[in-house]
Amino acid sequence: MSTNFKDTIINSVMKAVNTKGVLALKEGILYTLPLTMVGSIFLLLAQLPIKALNDWFTSIFGPAWTEPLFQVYNATFAIIALVSVITIAYAYAKNSGHDGLMAGILSLVVFLITTSSSVTDAASGVTIGGVIPRAWTGGQGMVTAIIIGLIVGALYSKLLDKNLSIKMPDGVPEGVTKQFAALIPAAIIFTGAMLVYIFFNVALKTTFIEWIYMVIQYPLQNLTDSLPAIMLICAIAPFLWVFGVHGTSIVTGVMDGIFLANTMANQAIIDSGLALTLENGAKIVTKQFFDNFIIMTGTGITIGLVVAMIIAGKSAQSKALGKIAIFPAIFNINEPVTFGFPIVMNPLTFVPFVLIGPIAALITYTAIAIGFMPPFGGVMVPWTTPPIISGFIVAGWQGALVQIILLATSVLIYFPFFKKQDAIHLKNENEASGELI
Amino acid sequence: MVKIRLFCAAGMSTSVLVNKMRKVAEAKGIEVEIDAHPEGQMTKLLDGVDVALLGPQVGYTLSKAKKICGEKNIPIEIIPMMDYGMVNGEKVLDLALKLAGK
Repeated sequence: MSTNFKDTIINSVMKAVNTKGVLALKEGILYTLPLTMVGSIFLLLAQLPIKALNDWFTSIFGPAWTEPLFQVYNATFAIIALVSVITIAYAYAKNSGHDGLMAGILSLVVFLITTSSSVTDAASGVTIGGVIPRAWTGGQGMVTAIIIGLIVGALYSKLLDKNLSIKMPDGVPEGVTKQFAALIPAAIIFTGAMLVYIFFNVALKTTFIEWIYMVIQYPLQNLTDSLPAIMLICAIAPFLWVFGVHGTSIVTGVMDGIFLANTMANQAIIDSGLALTLENGAKIVTKQFFDNFIIMTGTGITIGLVVAMIIAGKSAQSKALGKIAIFPAIFNINEPVTFGFPIVMNPLTFVPFVLIGPIAALITYTAIAIGFMPPFGGVMVPWTTPPIISGFIVAGWQGALVQIILLATSVLIYFPFFKKQDAIHLKNENEASGELI
Repeated sequence: MVKIRLFCAAGMSTSVLVNKMRKVAEAKGIEVEIDAHPEGQMTKLLDGVDVALLGPQVGYTLSKAKKICGEKNIPIEIIPMMDYGMVNGEKVLDLALKLAGK
Protein backbone atom coordinates (compact mmCIF):
# COMPACT_ATOMS: atom_id res chain seq x y z
CA MET A 1 0.00 0.00 0.00
CA SER A 2 1.38 3.38 -0.92
CA THR A 3 1.96 5.97 1.73
CA ASN A 4 -0.45 8.33 0.02
CA PHE A 5 -3.28 5.84 0.07
CA LYS A 6 -2.63 5.08 3.74
CA ASP A 7 -2.51 8.75 4.65
CA THR A 8 -5.76 9.47 2.83
CA ILE A 9 -7.60 6.71 4.64
CA ILE A 10 -6.16 7.55 8.03
CA ASN A 11 -6.88 11.21 7.53
CA SER A 12 -10.51 10.65 6.62
CA VAL A 13 -11.04 8.16 9.44
CA MET A 14 -9.33 10.46 11.87
CA LYS A 15 -11.34 13.43 10.80
CA ALA A 16 -14.45 11.58 11.89
CA VAL A 17 -12.86 10.18 15.01
CA ASN A 18 -11.06 13.26 16.16
CA THR A 19 -14.12 15.42 16.19
CA LYS A 20 -14.56 17.09 19.54
CA GLY A 21 -17.73 15.11 20.18
CA VAL A 22 -16.16 11.68 19.85
CA LEU A 23 -13.12 12.69 21.90
CA ALA A 24 -15.30 14.13 24.66
CA LEU A 25 -17.45 11.01 24.69
CA LYS A 26 -14.40 8.75 24.93
CA GLU A 27 -12.72 10.78 27.63
CA GLY A 28 -15.92 11.46 29.54
CA ILE A 29 -17.00 7.85 29.87
CA LEU A 30 -13.49 6.87 30.94
CA TYR A 31 -14.13 8.73 34.20
CA THR A 32 -16.88 6.25 35.11
CA LEU A 33 -14.39 3.37 35.17
CA PRO A 34 -13.89 3.35 38.95
CA LEU A 35 -17.66 3.34 39.42
CA THR A 36 -18.31 0.32 37.27
CA MET A 37 -15.17 -1.67 37.97
CA VAL A 38 -14.89 -1.14 41.72
CA GLY A 39 -18.67 -1.08 42.09
CA SER A 40 -18.58 -4.53 40.49
CA ILE A 41 -16.53 -5.94 43.34
CA PHE A 42 -19.21 -4.95 45.85
CA LEU A 43 -21.91 -6.37 43.60
CA LEU A 44 -19.97 -9.61 43.21
CA LEU A 45 -19.68 -9.95 46.98
CA ALA A 46 -23.38 -9.20 47.41
CA GLN A 47 -24.46 -11.94 45.03
CA LEU A 48 -21.83 -14.64 45.40
CA PRO A 49 -22.82 -17.65 43.38
CA ILE A 50 -21.96 -19.96 46.29
CA LYS A 51 -25.05 -20.75 48.33
CA ALA A 52 -23.24 -22.30 51.31
CA LEU A 53 -21.14 -19.16 51.75
CA ASN A 54 -24.23 -16.93 51.47
CA ASP A 55 -26.03 -18.99 54.10
CA TRP A 56 -23.02 -18.84 56.36
CA PHE A 57 -22.82 -15.03 56.11
CA THR A 58 -26.56 -14.81 56.74
CA SER A 59 -26.20 -16.92 59.89
CA ILE A 60 -23.45 -14.64 61.21
CA PHE A 61 -24.54 -11.16 60.12
CA GLY A 62 -28.29 -11.68 59.70
CA PRO A 63 -30.37 -11.62 56.51
CA ALA A 64 -29.59 -7.96 55.81
CA TRP A 65 -25.83 -8.50 55.50
CA THR A 66 -25.80 -7.55 51.83
CA GLU A 67 -27.51 -4.21 52.43
CA PRO A 68 -24.28 -2.13 52.81
CA LEU A 69 -22.87 -3.80 49.70
CA PHE A 70 -25.94 -2.81 47.68
CA GLN A 71 -25.65 0.70 49.12
CA VAL A 72 -22.26 0.96 47.40
CA TYR A 73 -23.60 -0.67 44.25
CA ASN A 74 -26.49 1.80 44.08
CA ALA A 75 -24.19 4.77 44.62
CA THR A 76 -21.92 3.68 41.75
CA PHE A 77 -23.78 1.72 39.05
CA ALA A 78 -27.09 3.44 39.55
CA ILE A 79 -25.72 6.96 39.01
CA ILE A 80 -23.52 6.28 36.02
CA ALA A 81 -25.61 8.53 33.73
CA LEU A 82 -25.56 11.29 36.34
CA VAL A 83 -21.77 11.12 36.42
CA SER A 84 -21.37 10.79 32.64
CA VAL A 85 -23.45 13.88 31.98
CA ILE A 86 -20.92 15.84 34.06
CA THR A 87 -17.73 14.24 32.74
CA ILE A 88 -18.67 14.38 29.04
CA ALA A 89 -19.47 18.10 29.19
CA TYR A 90 -16.32 18.56 31.27
CA ALA A 91 -14.15 16.84 28.67
CA TYR A 92 -15.73 18.76 25.80
CA ALA A 93 -15.29 22.19 27.38
CA LYS A 94 -11.80 21.39 28.65
CA ASN A 95 -10.69 20.25 25.18
CA SER A 96 -12.08 23.50 23.80
CA GLY A 97 -9.94 25.44 26.25
CA HIS A 98 -12.68 26.43 28.70
CA ASP A 99 -13.50 25.77 32.35
CA GLY A 100 -14.44 22.09 32.23
CA LEU A 101 -15.91 21.78 35.69
CA MET A 102 -18.32 24.65 35.14
CA ALA A 103 -19.57 23.04 31.94
CA GLY A 104 -20.00 19.77 33.85
CA ILE A 105 -22.05 21.48 36.53
CA LEU A 106 -24.31 23.20 33.98
CA SER A 107 -24.73 19.86 32.22
CA LEU A 108 -25.81 18.18 35.44
CA VAL A 109 -28.39 20.92 35.99
CA VAL A 110 -29.79 20.42 32.49
CA PHE A 111 -30.02 16.68 33.11
CA LEU A 112 -32.07 17.34 36.25
CA ILE A 113 -34.25 19.98 34.58
CA THR A 114 -35.22 17.62 31.79
CA THR A 115 -35.80 14.61 34.07
CA SER A 116 -38.94 13.93 36.05
CA SER A 117 -38.74 15.02 39.68
CA SER A 118 -41.30 12.54 40.92
CA VAL A 119 -41.70 8.78 41.02
CA THR A 120 -44.87 6.75 40.89
CA ASP A 121 -45.07 3.51 42.81
CA ALA A 122 -46.28 0.94 40.31
CA ALA A 123 -48.11 -1.15 42.91
CA SER A 124 -50.09 1.54 44.73
CA GLY A 125 -50.14 4.27 42.09
CA VAL A 126 -48.92 6.80 44.66
CA THR A 127 -46.71 9.58 43.27
CA ILE A 128 -43.99 11.08 45.40
CA GLY A 129 -42.41 14.38 44.40
CA GLY A 130 -39.12 16.02 45.26
CA VAL A 131 -36.90 13.16 44.19
CA ILE A 132 -34.21 12.37 41.64
CA PRO A 133 -35.50 9.09 40.23
CA ARG A 134 -32.73 6.52 40.29
CA ALA A 135 -34.41 4.67 37.43
CA TRP A 136 -33.04 7.37 35.11
CA THR A 137 -29.67 8.14 36.67
CA GLY A 138 -28.21 4.74 35.78
CA GLY A 139 -28.10 2.65 32.62
CA GLN A 140 -31.45 3.84 31.26
CA GLY A 141 -30.27 7.44 31.25
CA MET A 142 -27.00 6.76 29.43
CA VAL A 143 -27.89 7.99 25.94
CA THR A 144 -29.60 11.09 27.34
CA ALA A 145 -26.49 11.76 29.43
CA ILE A 146 -24.34 11.54 26.30
CA ILE A 147 -26.64 13.83 24.33
CA ILE A 148 -26.93 16.43 27.09
CA GLY A 149 -23.22 16.24 27.95
CA LEU A 150 -22.21 16.88 24.35
CA ILE A 151 -24.78 19.61 23.70
CA VAL A 152 -24.07 21.52 26.89
CA GLY A 153 -20.31 21.12 26.46
CA ALA A 154 -20.52 22.43 22.90
CA LEU A 155 -22.98 25.21 23.66
CA TYR A 156 -21.05 26.42 26.69
CA SER A 157 -17.82 26.49 24.70
CA LYS A 158 -19.46 28.25 21.73
CA LEU A 159 -21.07 30.90 23.91
CA LEU A 160 -17.78 31.65 25.63
CA ASP A 161 -15.98 31.69 22.27
CA LYS A 162 -18.45 34.30 21.09
CA ASN A 163 -17.61 36.31 24.21
CA LEU A 164 -21.17 36.13 25.43
CA SER A 165 -20.14 36.56 29.01
CA ILE A 166 -19.94 39.33 31.57
CA LYS A 167 -16.50 40.94 31.40
CA MET A 168 -14.80 41.94 34.61
CA PRO A 169 -12.32 44.82 34.84
CA ASP A 170 -8.63 43.92 35.33
CA GLY A 171 -7.71 43.38 38.95
CA VAL A 172 -10.79 41.35 39.78
CA PRO A 173 -9.58 37.98 41.15
CA GLU A 174 -9.60 35.18 38.59
CA GLY A 175 -11.99 33.04 40.63
CA VAL A 176 -14.58 35.80 40.59
CA THR A 177 -14.12 36.38 36.85
CA LYS A 178 -14.58 32.68 36.18
CA GLN A 179 -17.83 32.57 38.13
CA PHE A 180 -19.24 35.53 36.28
CA ALA A 181 -18.08 34.22 32.92
CA ALA A 182 -20.48 31.32 33.31
CA LEU A 183 -23.54 33.40 34.14
CA ILE A 184 -24.85 34.28 30.69
CA PRO A 185 -24.16 30.85 29.16
CA ALA A 186 -25.84 29.30 32.21
CA ALA A 187 -28.92 31.49 31.83
CA ILE A 188 -29.23 30.63 28.13
CA ILE A 189 -28.64 26.91 28.68
CA PHE A 190 -31.07 26.62 31.62
CA THR A 191 -33.78 28.48 29.70
CA GLY A 192 -33.32 26.15 26.75
CA ALA A 193 -33.53 23.14 29.06
CA MET A 194 -36.73 24.48 30.58
CA LEU A 195 -38.29 24.91 27.14
CA VAL A 196 -37.34 21.32 26.35
CA TYR A 197 -38.94 20.23 29.61
CA ILE A 198 -42.13 22.15 28.81
CA PHE A 199 -42.27 20.82 25.26
CA PHE A 200 -42.01 17.18 26.28
CA ASN A 201 -44.32 17.67 29.24
CA VAL A 202 -47.08 19.46 27.32
CA ALA A 203 -46.82 18.10 23.80
CA LEU A 204 -45.77 14.54 24.46
CA LYS A 205 -46.84 14.01 28.10
CA THR A 206 -43.46 12.62 28.97
CA THR A 207 -39.94 13.79 29.87
CA PHE A 208 -36.96 14.26 27.58
CA ILE A 209 -35.06 11.40 29.17
CA GLU A 210 -37.96 8.94 28.89
CA TRP A 211 -38.60 9.96 25.29
CA ILE A 212 -34.92 9.53 24.33
CA TYR A 213 -34.92 6.16 26.04
CA MET A 214 -37.99 4.96 24.16
CA VAL A 215 -37.12 6.44 20.77
CA ILE A 216 -33.32 6.18 20.63
CA GLN A 217 -31.70 4.22 23.43
CA TYR A 218 -34.00 1.20 23.60
CA PRO A 219 -33.87 0.58 19.82
CA LEU A 220 -30.08 1.16 19.84
CA GLN A 221 -29.65 -1.31 22.68
CA ASN A 222 -31.65 -3.92 20.80
CA LEU A 223 -29.84 -3.21 17.55
CA THR A 224 -26.45 -3.62 19.24
CA ASP A 225 -27.76 -6.83 20.73
CA SER A 226 -28.40 -8.33 17.29
CA LEU A 227 -25.86 -10.72 15.78
CA PRO A 228 -25.23 -8.87 12.48
CA ALA A 229 -24.68 -5.56 14.27
CA ILE A 230 -22.23 -6.90 16.83
CA MET A 231 -20.34 -8.83 14.14
CA LEU A 232 -19.95 -5.59 12.21
CA ILE A 233 -18.81 -3.71 15.31
CA CYS A 234 -16.29 -6.46 16.04
CA ALA A 235 -14.86 -6.10 12.52
CA ILE A 236 -14.52 -2.30 12.68
CA ALA A 237 -12.08 -2.28 15.61
CA PRO A 238 -9.46 -4.55 13.97
CA PHE A 239 -10.07 -2.92 10.57
CA LEU A 240 -8.98 0.43 11.98
CA TRP A 241 -6.02 -1.22 13.69
CA VAL A 242 -4.76 -2.40 10.28
CA PHE A 243 -4.19 1.26 9.49
CA GLY A 244 -2.26 1.74 12.70
CA VAL A 245 -5.10 3.46 14.47
CA HIS A 246 -6.20 2.34 17.95
CA GLY A 247 -9.51 0.99 16.64
CA THR A 248 -10.62 -0.51 19.91
CA SER A 249 -10.39 2.70 21.85
CA ILE A 250 -12.45 4.36 19.12
CA VAL A 251 -15.12 1.65 18.99
CA THR A 252 -15.47 1.42 22.76
CA GLY A 253 -15.45 5.20 22.95
CA VAL A 254 -18.59 5.32 20.85
CA MET A 255 -20.20 2.05 21.95
CA ASP A 256 -19.42 1.81 25.67
CA GLY A 257 -22.51 3.83 26.58
CA ILE A 258 -24.74 1.24 24.90
CA PHE A 259 -22.68 -1.74 26.09
CA LEU A 260 -22.92 -0.45 29.65
CA ALA A 261 -26.64 0.22 29.32
CA ASN A 262 -27.12 -3.41 28.27
CA THR A 263 -25.03 -4.68 31.19
CA MET A 264 -27.15 -2.62 33.55
CA ALA A 265 -30.40 -3.70 31.94
CA ASN A 266 -29.35 -7.27 32.73
CA GLN A 267 -28.49 -6.41 36.31
CA ALA A 268 -31.88 -4.69 36.61
CA ILE A 269 -33.52 -8.02 35.70
CA ILE A 270 -31.60 -9.72 38.53
CA ASP A 271 -32.49 -6.86 40.91
CA SER A 272 -36.18 -7.29 40.13
CA GLY A 273 -35.97 -10.86 41.40
CA LEU A 274 -36.26 -12.58 38.02
CA ALA A 275 -33.83 -15.10 36.60
CA LEU A 276 -31.41 -13.64 34.06
CA THR A 277 -32.59 -15.46 30.96
CA LEU A 278 -33.23 -14.42 27.38
CA GLU A 279 -36.96 -15.10 27.95
CA ASN A 280 -36.92 -12.44 30.67
CA GLY A 281 -35.35 -9.95 28.28
CA ALA A 282 -31.66 -10.42 29.05
CA LYS A 283 -29.25 -8.83 26.58
CA ILE A 284 -26.46 -10.90 25.02
CA VAL A 285 -24.13 -8.12 23.91
CA THR A 286 -22.87 -6.25 26.97
CA LYS A 287 -19.66 -4.61 28.04
CA GLN A 288 -18.26 -7.97 29.17
CA PHE A 289 -19.07 -9.46 25.74
CA PHE A 290 -16.72 -7.02 24.05
CA ASP A 291 -14.08 -6.40 26.75
CA ASN A 292 -13.54 -9.97 27.90
CA PHE A 293 -14.28 -12.05 24.81
CA ILE A 294 -13.84 -10.07 21.59
CA ILE A 295 -10.61 -8.24 22.47
CA MET A 296 -9.17 -11.02 24.62
CA THR A 297 -5.31 -11.08 24.44
CA GLY A 298 -5.64 -7.85 22.49
CA THR A 299 -7.74 -6.72 19.53
CA GLY A 300 -7.98 -9.50 16.96
CA ILE A 301 -7.29 -12.18 19.61
CA THR A 302 -3.67 -12.33 18.46
CA ILE A 303 -2.62 -14.97 21.00
CA GLY A 304 -2.57 -17.47 18.12
CA LEU A 305 0.30 -15.58 16.52
CA VAL A 306 2.20 -15.32 19.79
CA VAL A 307 1.86 -19.03 20.52
CA ALA A 308 2.92 -19.88 16.97
CA MET A 309 5.96 -17.61 17.21
CA ILE A 310 7.09 -19.29 20.42
CA ILE A 311 6.43 -22.89 19.37
CA ALA A 312 7.00 -22.86 15.62
CA GLY A 313 9.01 -19.68 14.95
CA LYS A 314 12.05 -20.26 12.75
CA SER A 315 13.14 -16.68 12.08
CA ALA A 316 15.04 -14.68 14.69
CA GLN A 317 12.38 -11.99 14.42
CA SER A 318 9.56 -14.40 15.37
CA LYS A 319 11.52 -15.99 18.20
CA ALA A 320 12.40 -12.62 19.72
CA LEU A 321 8.93 -11.15 19.29
CA GLY A 322 7.21 -14.22 20.75
CA LYS A 323 9.14 -13.78 23.98
CA ILE A 324 8.40 -10.06 24.10
CA ALA A 325 4.70 -10.44 23.28
CA ILE A 326 3.59 -13.28 25.52
CA PHE A 327 3.36 -11.48 28.87
CA PRO A 328 1.52 -8.41 27.58
CA ALA A 329 -0.83 -10.82 25.74
CA ILE A 330 -1.81 -12.48 29.00
CA PHE A 331 -3.04 -9.08 30.14
CA ASN A 332 -4.77 -8.46 26.79
CA ILE A 333 -2.21 -6.03 25.43
CA ASN A 334 -0.94 -6.76 21.93
CA GLU A 335 0.87 -3.70 20.62
CA PRO A 336 4.11 -5.73 20.28
CA VAL A 337 2.23 -8.04 17.88
CA THR A 338 0.34 -5.38 15.95
CA PHE A 339 3.45 -3.27 15.38
CA GLY A 340 6.18 -5.90 15.55
CA PHE A 341 4.78 -8.88 13.64
CA PRO A 342 3.49 -6.63 12.06
CA ILE A 343 -0.25 -6.52 11.53
CA VAL A 344 -0.42 -2.80 10.87
CA MET A 345 -0.28 -2.17 7.10
CA ASN A 346 0.42 -5.84 6.45
CA PRO A 347 -1.82 -7.25 3.66
CA LEU A 348 -0.92 -10.81 4.67
CA THR A 349 -2.60 -10.71 8.08
CA PHE A 350 -5.46 -8.46 7.02
CA VAL A 351 -8.02 -11.21 6.45
CA PRO A 352 -7.54 -13.31 9.61
CA PHE A 353 -7.08 -10.23 11.82
CA VAL A 354 -10.28 -8.53 10.67
CA LEU A 355 -12.32 -11.72 10.46
CA ILE A 356 -11.50 -13.17 13.86
CA GLY A 357 -13.51 -10.42 15.59
CA PRO A 358 -16.82 -11.34 13.91
CA ILE A 359 -16.01 -15.04 14.33
CA ALA A 360 -15.41 -14.56 18.06
CA ALA A 361 -18.65 -12.57 18.23
CA LEU A 362 -20.50 -15.41 16.51
CA ILE A 363 -19.10 -18.03 18.92
CA THR A 364 -19.74 -15.97 22.06
CA TYR A 365 -23.20 -14.93 20.87
CA THR A 366 -24.17 -18.50 20.04
CA ALA A 367 -22.90 -19.77 23.39
CA ILE A 368 -25.36 -17.46 25.14
CA ALA A 369 -28.19 -17.80 22.61
CA ILE A 370 -28.32 -21.60 22.90
CA GLY A 371 -28.29 -21.36 26.67
CA PHE A 372 -24.82 -22.79 27.25
CA MET A 373 -23.30 -19.67 28.77
CA PRO A 374 -25.44 -17.48 31.07
CA PRO A 375 -26.01 -13.85 29.99
CA PHE A 376 -23.73 -11.38 31.78
CA GLY A 377 -25.03 -9.67 34.93
CA GLY A 378 -23.65 -6.50 36.47
CA VAL A 379 -20.33 -8.00 37.51
CA MET A 380 -17.55 -6.60 35.33
CA VAL A 381 -13.80 -6.97 35.35
CA PRO A 382 -11.25 -4.61 33.80
CA TRP A 383 -10.30 -5.48 30.22
CA THR A 384 -6.75 -6.18 31.40
CA THR A 385 -7.88 -9.21 33.44
CA PRO A 386 -6.25 -12.35 31.95
CA PRO A 387 -8.51 -14.59 29.86
CA ILE A 388 -10.04 -17.69 31.47
CA ILE A 389 -9.94 -15.83 34.81
CA SER A 390 -12.07 -12.99 33.41
CA GLY A 391 -14.48 -15.46 31.77
CA PHE A 392 -14.83 -17.37 35.00
CA ILE A 393 -15.63 -14.24 37.00
CA VAL A 394 -18.20 -12.81 34.57
CA ALA A 395 -19.89 -16.05 33.43
CA GLY A 396 -18.71 -18.99 35.54
CA TRP A 397 -16.95 -22.07 34.17
CA GLN A 398 -18.91 -21.77 30.94
CA GLY A 399 -17.35 -18.34 30.40
CA ALA A 400 -13.88 -19.78 30.95
CA LEU A 401 -14.61 -22.61 28.51
CA VAL A 402 -15.88 -20.26 25.79
CA GLN A 403 -12.70 -18.24 26.19
CA ILE A 404 -10.59 -21.40 25.82
CA ILE A 405 -12.50 -22.19 22.61
CA LEU A 406 -11.75 -18.66 21.33
CA LEU A 407 -8.06 -19.04 22.17
CA ALA A 408 -7.93 -22.31 20.24
CA THR A 409 -9.79 -20.72 17.32
CA SER A 410 -7.19 -17.97 17.24
CA VAL A 411 -4.32 -20.48 16.98
CA LEU A 412 -6.07 -22.34 14.15
CA ILE A 413 -6.97 -19.25 12.16
CA TYR A 414 -3.62 -17.51 12.40
CA PHE A 415 -1.30 -20.48 11.94
CA PRO A 416 -1.15 -20.66 8.12
CA PHE A 417 -0.65 -16.90 7.93
CA PHE A 418 2.03 -17.07 10.57
CA LYS A 419 3.96 -19.71 8.57
CA LYS A 420 4.03 -17.41 5.55
CA GLN A 421 5.13 -14.36 7.50
CA ASP A 422 7.78 -16.37 9.36
CA ALA A 423 9.15 -17.64 6.05
CA ILE A 424 9.36 -14.06 4.78
CA HIS A 425 11.25 -12.99 7.90
CA LEU A 426 13.58 -15.97 7.57
CA LYS A 427 14.30 -15.22 3.93
CA ASN A 428 15.04 -11.57 4.73
CA GLU A 429 17.31 -12.57 7.56
CA ASN A 430 19.22 -15.06 5.40
CA GLU A 431 19.62 -12.50 2.64
CA ALA A 432 20.80 -9.89 5.11
CA SER A 433 23.39 -12.20 6.62
CA GLY A 434 24.38 -13.33 3.12
CA GLU A 435 25.13 -9.73 2.21
CA LEU A 436 27.33 -9.37 5.25
CA ILE A 437 29.42 -12.35 4.26
CA MET B 1 18.94 14.63 33.64
CA VAL B 2 16.75 14.15 30.58
CA LYS B 3 13.03 14.00 31.23
CA ILE B 4 11.23 11.87 28.63
CA ARG B 5 7.48 11.32 28.38
CA LEU B 6 5.86 8.59 26.29
CA PHE B 7 2.18 8.87 25.39
CA CYS B 8 -0.03 6.03 24.14
CA ALA B 9 -3.71 5.06 24.33
CA ALA B 10 -4.00 3.99 27.97
CA GLY B 11 -0.38 4.31 29.12
CA MET B 12 -0.20 0.52 29.45
CA SER B 13 1.36 -0.93 26.34
CA THR B 14 4.10 1.66 26.46
CA SER B 15 5.17 0.84 30.00
CA VAL B 16 7.04 -2.24 28.75
CA LEU B 17 9.05 -0.04 26.42
CA VAL B 18 9.71 2.42 29.23
CA ASN B 19 11.30 -0.30 31.36
CA LYS B 20 13.57 -1.31 28.49
CA MET B 21 14.60 2.29 27.89
CA ARG B 22 15.42 2.78 31.55
CA LYS B 23 17.63 -0.30 31.54
CA VAL B 24 19.47 0.83 28.41
CA ALA B 25 19.99 4.30 29.89
CA GLU B 26 21.30 2.81 33.11
CA ALA B 27 23.71 0.56 31.24
CA LYS B 28 24.98 3.55 29.28
CA GLY B 29 25.20 5.72 32.36
CA ILE B 30 22.75 8.32 31.04
CA GLU B 31 20.60 10.03 33.66
CA VAL B 32 16.99 9.92 32.52
CA GLU B 33 13.49 10.12 33.91
CA ILE B 34 11.05 8.22 31.68
CA ASP B 35 7.31 7.73 32.18
CA ALA B 36 4.34 6.56 30.09
CA HIS B 37 0.91 8.19 30.18
CA PRO B 38 -2.36 8.22 28.24
CA GLU B 39 -2.23 10.68 25.36
CA GLY B 40 -5.40 12.41 26.63
CA GLN B 41 -3.57 13.64 29.72
CA MET B 42 -0.72 15.25 27.84
CA THR B 43 -1.54 18.85 28.76
CA LYS B 44 -1.09 18.20 32.47
CA LEU B 45 2.12 16.23 32.24
CA LEU B 46 4.58 18.39 30.38
CA ASP B 47 6.18 20.41 33.18
CA GLY B 48 9.95 20.32 32.82
CA VAL B 49 9.78 17.69 30.09
CA ASP B 50 12.66 17.67 27.60
CA VAL B 51 11.12 15.47 24.94
CA ALA B 52 7.79 13.72 24.29
CA LEU B 53 7.16 10.64 22.16
CA LEU B 54 3.88 9.30 20.80
CA GLY B 55 3.03 5.62 20.46
CA PRO B 56 2.32 4.78 16.81
CA GLN B 57 -1.26 3.74 17.61
CA VAL B 58 -2.04 7.30 18.63
CA GLY B 59 0.14 8.77 15.89
CA TYR B 60 -2.94 10.41 14.42
CA THR B 61 -2.99 12.83 17.34
CA LEU B 62 0.39 14.24 16.29
CA SER B 63 -0.99 17.55 15.02
CA LYS B 64 -2.87 18.13 18.27
CA ALA B 65 0.15 17.00 20.28
CA LYS B 66 2.48 19.26 18.30
CA LYS B 67 0.29 22.22 19.16
CA ILE B 68 0.32 21.39 22.88
CA CYS B 69 4.05 20.67 22.97
CA GLY B 70 4.90 23.53 20.64
CA GLU B 71 3.61 26.04 23.17
CA LYS B 72 6.16 24.72 25.65
CA ASN B 73 8.92 24.20 23.07
CA ILE B 74 9.02 20.47 23.67
CA PRO B 75 10.05 18.36 20.68
CA ILE B 76 7.62 15.54 19.90
CA GLU B 77 7.77 12.68 17.43
CA ILE B 78 6.03 9.36 16.72
CA ILE B 79 7.93 6.23 17.74
CA PRO B 80 8.70 4.14 14.61
CA MET B 81 6.33 1.19 14.38
CA MET B 82 8.94 -1.57 14.34
CA ASP B 83 10.94 -0.16 17.25
CA TYR B 84 7.72 0.07 19.21
CA GLY B 85 6.58 -3.44 18.33
CA MET B 86 9.92 -5.06 19.03
CA VAL B 87 10.27 -3.00 22.22
CA ASN B 88 13.63 -1.73 21.04
CA GLY B 89 14.53 0.41 24.06
CA GLU B 90 17.90 1.39 22.69
CA LYS B 91 16.65 2.84 19.41
CA VAL B 92 13.77 4.70 21.04
CA LEU B 93 16.08 6.12 23.69
CA ASP B 94 18.47 7.28 20.97
CA LEU B 95 15.58 8.94 19.17
CA ALA B 96 14.49 10.71 22.34
CA LEU B 97 17.99 11.93 23.14
CA LYS B 98 18.49 13.12 19.57
CA LEU B 99 15.22 15.08 19.66
CA ALA B 100 16.11 16.56 23.03
CA GLY B 101 19.44 17.61 21.55
CA LYS B 102 21.47 15.81 24.20
